[in-house]
Amino acid sequence: MRYVIVGNSAAAVGCITGIRKVDPDGEIVVISYEDRCYSKPMIADVLIDIPEEKLLYRDSSFFEENGVETILGHKAVSINRDSKVVALDSNELVPYDKLLIATGGKPFVPPISGSDKKGVFTFTELHSAISFKNYLKENGAEEVVVIGSGFIGLEVAYFLREIGIKVKVVELLDRVLARALDRRGSEIVENMLREKGIDFIFNDTVEEIMGDEKVSSVRLKSGSVLRADAVVVAIGVRPNTELAQTAGIEVNKGISVSDTMETSIPDIFAAGDCIKCTDIVDGQKKPIPLFPLAFEQGFIAGLNMAGKKMEYLGGLVLNSLKFLPVPVLNAGVVEPIDDSCEVFVNDKFEKKGFYRKAIVRDGKLIGFIAIGEIDRTGILTNLIRQKIDVSDVKERLVEPDFGLVDLPQWWREEKLKQDKTAYKDWRAV
Amino acid sequence: MSKKRKLMKVYPIEENCISCRYCEVACTMVHSESKDPVKAYKLENLLPRATVEVKEAVSLSLMCRHCKHPFCFDACISGAIMVDENGKVNLDEEKCVGCWNCVLVCPFGAAHPMIREEKRHSFKCDLCGDRGFPACVEACPNRALIYDFER
Repeated sequence: MRYVIVGNSAAAVGCITGIRKVDPDGEIVVISYEDRCYSKPMIADVLIDIPEEKLLYRDSSFFEENGVETILGHKAVSINRDSKVVALDSNELVPYDKLLIATGGKPFVPPISGSDKKGVFTFTELHSAISFKNYLKENGAEEVVVIGSGFIGLEVAYFLREIGIKVKVVELLDRVLARALDRRGSEIVENMLREKGIDFIFNDTVEEIMGDEKVSSVRLKSGSVLRADAVVVAIGVRPNTELAQTAGIEVNKGISVSDTMETSIPDIFAAGDCIKCTDIVDGQKKPIPLFPLAFEQGFIAGLNMAGKKMEYLGGLVLNSLKFLPVPVLNAGVVEPIDDSCEVFVNDKFEKKGFYRKAIVRDGKLIGFIAIGEIDRTGILTNLIRQKIDVSDVKERLVEPDFGLVDLPQWWREEKLKQDKTAYKDWRAV
Repeated sequence: MSKKRKLMKVYPIEENCISCRYCEVACTMVHSESKDPVKAYKLENLLPRATVEVKEAVSLSLMCRHCKHPFCFDACISGAIMVDENGKVNLDEEKCVGCWNCVLVCPFGAAHPMIREEKRHSFKCDLCGDRGFPACVEACPNRALIYDFER
């Protein structure tokens, strides 16, 4: 059996791990246009000079120990589904028996006039993060404009302040992380970032990036002009489906996959930021581009590729703001999705430094926010995942000491005594 | 198929737990520099990897279950969490960058955040590593923790 994986990040490593659980001997080939297996969520750390080896997610020993052949520095450009080969930009043809497409996401750049000027960067690849850092140095940049206040935009802004650069974040909506947090959560995060010296401009957007060859300023929709020695576009990522489309795979705002991670074409699987997965909270298929999900999907794909049938549990939003001094986590939804939802809030942020919120619907937890006190919040994430009835303890969900003693006794019996902790054991009850 | 795992874990028996918290003290002590229970808490700012929970008549001590499918391993962005050939889940505190994903996904709340000025990292039960026998089990006066083969 010959497995080929296009991509070399979380989903790819998950896939290798899954394949090797079942098939210790089959050939595995990894194809990536990048030169190493680094941690995508950590690339902004480049700005504060994190040692390069720390960025490695898996080093060469991982690939050696798992008997993986790597073809690095070459892009897979097309798939021939009939002859079952992947064509590379070097014209090399790589045959496969089972193929995983793990091509990830690509940054979304809206049509802004002047966005082709030097000094405009996106932030999803190590290569672009390093180029950005070098550009700042070579041009003695003092002021940077970040477009977008999502996780990537805020992290870049934060690290730019760490190295003494002035930052203005321009956000179309009226608050930071508007799609990830509730209003109170946004307010707490914004205050922390303002203390750090970051400026925000809300309800506005960049209409034009100005300068000769290199960017020198931006003009906002409101008319004001901001100095910008460099611009970071961090509006979001979209599934990268180009390769999948060359094989005629069904794509609709993300690669469509079955519960076993198989695409519409036999023997071709897909996982990670390039796919649409089922959100267990609302049952909708959508891209949820997050590292933990990518790994898990890759792992499940790997098991199935190697012949062990396993259905994916489904995904859910899982966010962590790792760069702030005060931790900010959320899972599932952060606002009620209809009138039948109950909302529980425990806001002690000013006095005790924590904020907790939980959303309950039909007696089930469907989302929470935890700021400040985050220990043991994984218990809540699992309540969402397993759809366990929390009617009797709903007021307790926002208490920092919520624990397994608040869960039904049968759950502890099953998980602790019987040790039911395999993948299939985490399905909804 | 994968090899048969040979792993011993710590199993809590809630019927026997009297919430004395000796397990927490023993855990903190053996993971400290000073090997002194008071200094470990007061001077080294350490926290236990076992958590005693109490609610009315129920109490139990809870630590990393070394899950057969560890979600923390899926979620770890730095490569700090690895699973060995027996299924033991290891967390390298030096490699950890404190992204808190493991805290967010552990169904048992057994991966904890250490948020300090000098270093931010997660920590969890390591089954006492080289010590050979978990200190919490040794310290438990009522057989509410046992060290046993994986079930």
